[in-house]
Order: sequence, then C-alpha cells, then structure tokens
Amino acid sequence: MSGPDLSVKIGSLTMKNPVMVASGIFGYGDEFHDLADYGELGALVLKTITKEPRAGNPPACRTVETPAGMVNAMGLENVGLEAFLSEKLPAAMEYGTNIIASIAGDTPEEFAECTRALDETDVAAIELNISCPNVKKGGMAFGVDAEASAEVVAAVRATTKKPIIAKLTPNVTDIAAVAVACEEAAADAVSLTNTFSAMVIDIERRCPLLAAGTGGLSGPAIRPAAVYKVYQVAQAVAIPVIGMGGIWNASDALEFILAGASAVAVGTVLYADPAAGNRVLAGIREYLERHDVARLADLVGTVSIPHRLD
Amino acid sequence: MPASPGGEPGNGGGRGASRLCAEVVESERLPGDHHQLLLRAPLVAEDATPGQFVHVWCHSPDDIGRPPSAALLRRPYSISRLRLPDCIELLLRVRGIGGRILAGKSKGEELDLIGPLGNGFGIRESLRTAVIVAGGIGVAPVPFLVQALAARLVEVVVLVGAAYDAKLPYRVERTSAGSPTLPGLAALGAEVEFVSEATEGKLVSQLLEERVGDLDPDSDEVMAIGPRPMLKRLAAITEGRLRLQVSLEERMACGLGACRSCVVPAADGKGYKTVCRDGPVFYASEIDWERLEP
Repeated sequence: MSGPDLSVKIGSLTMKNPVMVASGIFGYGDEFHDLADYGELGALVLKTITKEPRAGNPPACRTVETPAGMVNAMGLENVGLEAFLSEKLPAAMEYGTNIIASIAGDTPEEFAECTRALDETDVAAIELNISCPNVKKGGMAFGVDAEASAEVVAAVRATTKKPIIAKLTPNVTDIAAVAVACEEAAADAVSLTNTFSAMVIDIERRCPLLAAGTGGLSGPAIRPAAVYKVYQVAQAVAIPVIGMGGIWNASDALEFILAGASAVAVGTVLYADPAAGNRVLAGIREYLERHDVARLADLVGTVSIPHRLD
Repeated sequence: MPASPGGEPGNGGGRGASRLCAEVVESERLPGDHHQLLLRAPLVAEDATPGQFVHVWCHSPDDIGRPPSAALLRRPYSISRLRLPDCIELLLRVRGIGGRILAGKSKGEELDLIGPLGNGFGIRESLRTAVIVAGGIGVAPVPFLVQALAARLVEVVVLVGAAYDAKLPYRVERTSAGSPTLPGLAALGAEVEFVSEATEGKLVSQLLEERVGDLDPDSDEVMAIGPRPMLKRLAAITEGRLRLQVSLEERMACGLGACRSCVVPAADGKGYKTVCRDGPVFYASEIDWERLEP
C-alpha cells in the first residue's frame, strides 16, 4: 500500500515516520513489552542514563497527578552506563526500530564519556538531557544557559558521528537562543519541550507533596505552551525540531508539526494508553491522505500566521 | 527463598499482562464508602494470582483518544476475587475522582484495563497454615488469597482490623459468646477474627502477637495487607520468628516498572524496588523498614 511519505531525516538518521516515544516515560523499553507494536514507531528514546547508577529522589512521593497533567521528580534514577549497555540496550533493540539513548551528566566531559561508549553500539542517535544540573555552575541546569548547552553539545560532537539531539528545557527566558547555540555547536536536532517546573502543596501538612519539593509538569496541561515554544524555536533554527509536550492524539501532534516540528514524541499519554503512539501515527497518516499531502515534510511549519508573532 | 514471593522480579511489567475491554457485570454499593465491580475479564481471570492488580482507565474506552482533565492516569486495584470462569471482582474505596467515576459505572459498560500486573503472594509447597492480617481496605485482595490457599489445602486464619466498623466493606457480627467476625469473609471457609480500635480498643497486630507463639516457622506463614504502620509492627513481631509476606501500596503512574514513581527502599541499603513491578507483594526481609516512609 503506498500512502503518504512519512519519513523524517535527523542528521544521518532516517526514521520511517515521525512518531517517537519521549525519554523517561518508556523506561528502558522492556517494561511495556508487547502492550503495543512499538516497532511500528519512528524511534524510541530510552530513559536518561548517567555514567554511574543513581538511586534518584527519596520515595513518597515522586509523582502527583494534577489537572490534565502530572508532576514528577524522579531524580534521574537510572541503572548507569554499564548495566545499560549490557542489559537494557540489547533488550530494547529487539523492538526492531530506532533506539535513541538519552544521557545526562554533571559535566560536559561526563556527557562525552557516555557518548564514547554509546558510539560503539547500534543506538540510532544520542539525546542530551541538558535539563540536568550543571555541577560546575552551582547546580543550575545546563539547559537554562545557551553557552553551557553549547559546551555539552560540542563535547559530545567531538566524540561521535551519530546524530545528536539536544533536549531543551522550557524553563528559560529565550528558548530560541538556547536552540541556536546548540545548532551552532553542531547538534543535528533539538527536541522540546522537557517538563515545566512545578510545585504541588499538601495544604494539610503545609509542605510540598513531592519529596524533592519541586518537579516537572507534563501532560495535556502544557501542550499549548509547548506548541508555542516549538514555533519559536522552529523560526530560529534550520535543524529539525522534535516537538513534544502533552500530545494525546493525532490532532495534538499535527499542531506541533504545523508549528514547525519535523517529528513528534508521545510521553505521559502512554501511561493511560500504551498504544497512543500507534494511534497518533494512524491519525497523522489519515490526515495527510485527507488533505492530499504526499510528504509529511511538506506540512512541517506550514501554519499560516496572519501577522508576525514574537 | 526466592527473590520475590510471587515470582522472579523482572517477570512483571507488560510481560504476561493483557490489555482488554472488560464488561461491567455487576456494580454494587457496599457499606461505608466502598464499591464493588464485577468485571468480565477472561485473560486476567485466567492468569492472575492473589495480590496482583489491574490498572484501570477510569473513563470510557471510546474516550481514550481524548485527554481528560481529571483522572488522567490509570488507577491500580488489586483483584479482590475470581469468579470463574472469566470474571474478576474489584473492591474500591470511593474517595478521589477516579474511584467516584468507577463507582458510577453501571452494568453493561466497559472498562479498559491492563493486567494482571505485579508479583502476587507466593504459596510454597510446604505451607500448612497461613495467617492473613488485613487492615482497613487491605481486605480487598483477601477473598482471592483465601480462595487460592484453600485450593491448595492450606489452613487459613484471617485477622482483620479497622479504626471503626464502617472502614470495612463487610458487615461485622458481634455476639456475646465469641470474638467479632465478618460473615462475608468467613463464608469463604476461613477462620475470621475482627477487631476495631473504636469498639475493641485493639490493633490487629495484637491479634497476631497473641497467636505468634503457636505458629511453626517451618510450615506456617503470615501474609499482610494494610497501612504501613500496621505492616511495620508485623515486621517487628515476626522478625527472626516467622516468614512474612507484605503487600505494599504506593502512588503509581505507569504500573509497569518504567516510571519509577512507586519505589520503596530495598533491604540492600541503597537501592529502591518498584511496588508495581517488583511487588506489590514482598517478603518483609526485602524491605528496609527503617527507611520506609510511614
């Protein structure tokens, strides 16, 4: 059956379609097992890993449901690079689609070290979780500073030819400036947005509900804000933008695509509907056919704006 | 002793679980703020072991493609009872929005659920007597557990406690002669004893303490479901004397072991275990009770 061309290019990587699974949500992949045909999707981004294993934030509690969303603060709990390479990655590869590793570190060198190891694997690309704290700059996230973000991208670029995706935090004054800095440091794509900083208070105990105090808001609640960030970034960079933030269905995904995203990722929705990615993909295909668009790429960034937005 | 009572960790998550649309066969209000749903869920009923749970989408399956403003995440409910050949019973406490939506479901409606999930209670070959200790809504999975133990010819004693009678979905019977009991549970063929803090002025852990000397560590075991302070007391009472399995509750998002929301401190002193995938049933010796939040 020849339908519309859904393929997406990110650096040297070609994905068969634009629907990805966002990092963090999907664990290392094996947890969801066969609750849906994940091999059908364009790429699966696995949970962020660091060089050494991390225990994460204290429990009770790490996640709170909020109106049309959830706030989480896991604290980068992960198995570490070694166990990822020996156990988790081989299992994820069995899905038969592009597997993208997500990495974080305290310093640009730590990002580079993880990349060197991943460069020798079959991961299709490497996503940089630059929303993690920059230890050398007093724990402020790399991603809130264009220069620090570019430093991480440059350190990683020097160690691999695999596509590099910088995942941007929305918790900045000028997200487009951070995106441009990443592009100039030779990132192949940017993905956005990560979660929005948030807090939930237990009014009886008069303290934050999350053990970490604050966390990140995801889900449909952030979608319109994320669409606008994607629009702003897509206006500023030439590299592909991967759009995410509260996508629940194909209409949501198409908003991101029209705003300038070449690909999209589903996240929080997978906790309600493990097959959401497949549902979104089917809906995008149906939309392209209905609007007689032969190539998805022709639709990217085609939102028509009556007057310039800033 | 296996690493985890109901199976090896890592067998949980989506592996072995099905996602299906279960038909509501009965929907019944129970005493207090409790509600019972009988669901036709053949693949779950076939595979489930006591202590496992299902993860339920509260809204109509047809609305899965529309983002809800409330009850965005699925809700975990332990399987309360099997009604063979193909039905499962869920016992809900109607408190939050999710429970309220589910309690409003009527016969013939459908529910999108994933299960069975997690590792349930382990029933070893040499088990002769099982003492089940349940606190409050912790009685939810007890009927299923009694069913499974009875099928294996294990003698079952159920000790139930609650702050006051209405905290239970069961009717309490008090006669001048014996200890208070719950006819609804006793009908399953177990000896049942009940205490309420309000009436008897006693905690259920005290009932276990009174019996603990009569139990044989080689052939007898304690299985507990309820609030953490109760579980902590039971862990202290049984430590070094009797094997204890506990079912833990925690806020969940994915229910599959992916999101790491529902972690509890592991006895190895540093790491965490997920309630949804490594549990919800653990041997007491797997948990770091000192670090476990109340």
